[in-house]
Amino acid sequence: MSEAVKSLDLVKVYYSKERVEALKGVNISIGKGELFTLLGPNGAGKTTFLRIISTQLLPTKGDATVLGYSVVEQPEKVREHIAVVPQDVATYGNYTPWEYAYYFARLRGMSSRTARLAADKALKSVDLAQLKERTCSTLSGGEKKRAIIASALASDTDVLMLDEPTSGLDAVARRGVWSALRDMVEKGKTILLTTHMMEEAEMVSDRLAIINKGNVVAEGRPDEIKSLAKEKYRVVVSGHFDKLSNYGEVTKLGDRYIVYVKTENEALELLKTTLKMGLRAEASPITLEDVFVKLVGGINNENH
Amino acid sequence: MIAWMKSYPDFKRNPLVLIVIALISAIPLFFMAIFAAEGMLIHGLIGAMVSTISFIGVSAAIQDISWDRYVKIREMIVAMPVHPASYAMGTALAPFLLSLPSLVFFGAIASLWGFLNVTTTIWTIVSLVMAWAAMSAIGFIISTYLYKASPWLLNNISNLLGLGLIFIPPVYYPETLLGGLSWISVILPTSNVAGLIRYYLGLLPLTPETVIVRWLILIATTVTFVVLTSLKAKWRET
Repeated sequence: MSEAVKSLDLVKVYYSKERVEALKGVNISIGKGELFTLLGPNGAGKTTFLRIISTQLLPTKGDATVLGYSVVEQPEKVREHIAVVPQDVATYGNYTPWEYAYYFARLRGMSSRTARLAADKALKSVDLAQLKERTCSTLSGGEKKRAIIASALASDTDVLMLDEPTSGLDAVARRGVWSALRDMVEKGKTILLTTHMMEEAEMVSDRLAIINKGNVVAEGRPDEIKSLAKEKYRVVVSGHFDKLSNYGEVTKLGDRYIVYVKTENEALELLKTTLKMGLRAEASPITLEDVFVKLVGGINNENH
Repeated sequence: MIAWMKSYPDFKRNPLVLIVIALISAIPLFFMAIFAAEGMLIHGLIGAMVSTISFIGVSAAIQDISWDRYVKIREMIVAMPVHPASYAMGTALAPFLLSLPSLVFFGAIASLWGFLNVTTTIWTIVSLVMAWAAMSAIGFIISTYLYKASPWLLNNISNLLGLGLIFIPPVYYPETLLGGLSWISVILPTSNVAGLIRYYLGLLPLTPETVIVRWLILIATTVTFVVLTSLKAKWRET
């Protein structure tokens, strides 16, 4: 698979009241036709990375390429191939979803006829064809988000960049957006997505990178990332007993405890013990969120 | 295209905006009709034309930062193959399109009163276009140098500019009423244009040299503001 996006030692330093190093030499490679997710806590550098790749922001050091074009030296060439949905984007109430898609297609230089077709196609792909004549002020949050995504899709670019496109959406609306994104990947588009939602990253990504404090701390397929943890199972125990930490690493969540164990047998043994003691417990394979929290820190350990 | 997308949906879904634009500029005419001396109404009408195009020129750029910052259309456009000059021109042209019906209305009244013929119409249009350019340039200066200002502050600045550039200087009234201070009208693009239109309509006697100087000042003001904006404005953030 050849590369659609590649960053090379990308550094970004902001100088406002104090010096903030948002990216500390980020190297990421995204293949063509891949949905790649940049996962990280708030302030990790996800948006900064996306804004540099999308030519909205200049890096302090380093460079990145999109389809072989440098974002520093050839931003005009890069812009021909990308479409962006910024973070916390709002819709303009007087536009209809169709107008959004049509205008953005026209801004790309498409003829009126081609833009009309592109707008119709884009709205169909995000399941908004029925609502295309309604003004955005009358749409729900999820429908508004999909209208914006449709405007990016109507551009018919090779690479789509979306900054937290599902933030603030309910579960149903979120799935609608995910479905639209996976459809785009199926059609050969490359998508760079940022999120801080683990479920989203796990559900839609072909590959992902976990970024924290401006550094990439892990990169790979969701299952590869999960395999980075030596523990493979988690047991959530409602209550506490003295020897809980003998079973594995324990994370305290108020009156609940997550115990990370290496094997299925260890998980079963812990389950039996807790049930005998009259406590409630539930075992499941380790999640991406567990690995993420371990990698970026912030675990409230209760170990030996 | 940018001008169209920033004006047509507003007009289509909220056509009252055209009446509001016309009414704001026409309010002083109402008082002038009651209280001002005979023959002053045409001066007020010229003021209404200048006001329509000027106020909207400033508010265009100011609206651009507060509105586009919220809906992030500009962020999306920066990452598109769109030239910054095209974006600026479209942003300035959008309110110009919205103000056209009001201008046509005021122009029709001036024509009915017998002040407009082909030549004076052309000169009036040219002068108004220049007022739009100058005031848009002022608007862009504000939006560029006060990029991080809150929408409330920008709104107040917009209102203050309206007072300072449109309602206080001799825009609705002839500069001759200022006596020795009439030179002030040359400094401000709004009153300068109003004076030029009065000259072309035969309401203000000016020497040909004065007219040339006034045009040069108007052009120089506009160019200066455009240059100052282009020195500071950044399409891509650093």
